[in-house]
Amino acid sequence: MANVLFAEDDADVIEAHRTLLETRGYEVTAAGSAEEARKQLEKISPDIFILDVMMETKSAGFQLARDVHSKYPNTPIVMMTGVRQKMDLPYGFEPDETWLPITTFLEKPVDPDRLADTLDNALKGNQ
Amino acid sequence: METLHLLVVDDEEAMCRGIKRALRSFSVRVPDIDVTVNFTVTTALTAEEAHQAIEADPGPDLVLLDHKLPDRTGLEVLDELNKKNLDLLTIVITAYASLETAVQATKRGAYDFMAKPFTPEEIRGTVEKAARHLITQRQARKLAEERRQVRFQFTSVLAHEMKSPISAIDGYLQVMKKRAKGEDISNYEPMIDRSLMRLEGMRKMINDLLDLTAIESGQKQREFTTIDFEEMLPEIMEAFEDQAHERNISLRYEVEQGITMEGDRSEIEIILNNLVSNGLKYNYEHGELHIQVYRAHGFINISVADTGIGLTEEEQQQLFQDFARIKNEKTRNIVGSGLGLSTVKKLATLYNGDVSVVSEPDKGTTFTVSLKPTSTEDEQNDMEQKYEEVTENN
Repeated sequence: MANVLFAEDDADVIEAHRTLLETRGYEVTAAGSAEEARKQLEKISPDIFILDVMMETKSAGFQLARDVHSKYPNTPIVMMTGVRQKMDLPYGFEPDETWLPITTFLEKPVDPDRLADTLDNALKGNQ
Repeated sequence: METLHLLVVDDEEAMCRGIKRALRSFSVRVPDIDVTVNFTVTTALTAEEAHQAIEADPGPDLVLLDHKLPDRTGLEVLDELNKKNLDLLTIVITAYASLETAVQATKRGAYDFMAKPFTPEEIRGTVEKAARHLITQRQARKLAEERRQVRFQFTSVLAHEMKSPISAIDGYLQVMKKRAKGEDISNYEPMIDRSLMRLEGMRKMINDLLDLTAIESGQKQREFTTIDFEEMLPEIMEAFEDQAHERNISLRYEVEQGITMEGDRSEIEIILNNLVSNGLKYNYEHGELHIQVYRAHGFINISVADTGIGLTEEEQQQLFQDFARIKNEKTRNIVGSGLGLSTVKKLATLYNGDVSVVSEPDKGTTFTVSLKPTSTEDEQNDMEQKYEEVTENN
């Protein structure tokens, strides 16, 4: 069973996805903020991350992605966001190694099956 | 205190020295934005030297440009300056006080012109006018930019806040559609409840947003009447009785005798409704809510004290900003838009007042709104002025 760390400030979004991810064989650890995700990482080492962009700040998820990537360079990161295009962020939105070291970008609302498929693929690509 | 850099471009060194002298320890007040400006003066004897000085960083703010230079005419220099699109004002100096040159200079973007010879008084007068214009223009640009930023910030947070419940409800519906928890509908009960709660939250946000934009746009018709708090409070409280009863919260209110003020009734209602509604929502079961309306220090104060979950120092700091929803385990099941208190603060400002908060986690919170009652016509006019300021700044 693969362990997912799911950082997202909307507990309902986590709850909805958790239900389906569990039927697909994932164990979900929830974190309501980037800070909480950092605390969880002291206790667990997940196989894959799902990160929201806007949490404590409007780009908290990006910073978390960079931190996580430098600590676990081989663990895939899936990023979810509700406002992909229209945000004035100080860098490109496309994944790249330095600024945005993530595996896949998904735009909310995300179909839970699609999320599970994305996790499956990311983990496969990683083996 | 602000210092403007003035560049004098003139091949007559005596003229450069004269202008330097005239502006030494000269300062200009810009009363509208409450700033005093003084000047540092540098000189260039040729168009070429002027170019170097203008290219330097920081470049000049004002340029006093002689029309007759050894290597080019002032108008030629002006054309070159225009191409660069710099944030500076040019004053053209000409010995031939022909209207022709002056017209040409202003056509090509000069702010003003002066005819030689001029007195120190004249140079100071012209520089004063240009400095005021430049500072005011810069300030206006800065304000416009800030407003754009604030609006953009607001819209992007609004988009996020509106999309969050959609994602949540969408997620729950997907779970149900896929029968992820089996065929029994009762397995989905918590998800249905949460979905309904999120919908209620969206409805509330839309209503609060309409209140807020009506106030900020200045489009709302304000109807001033005499508000009698002794008469108003019972009506407001009655609307909250069921909600209080459901959670066993005891409601108490006291109004100091004879308190009235001139105001827009719907605005005062928004203030009271927001505060009482918060006092119930963020209260514990069997808690208390105590509302008082009283006079103090020339203000009418409305205080709403609850015995609820309270706020940390940090939470109190961000409380009155748009969408400042305090998110934690205790507030997860409470519907709110994050716009109520910022609206209360904006309304209090319209009445020359403010809102303050005293709180302790798990003990309770007291909000106090102070409003300045207006009586004379002058004060009413001041208030209209204030209204324009508040609506303009948003």
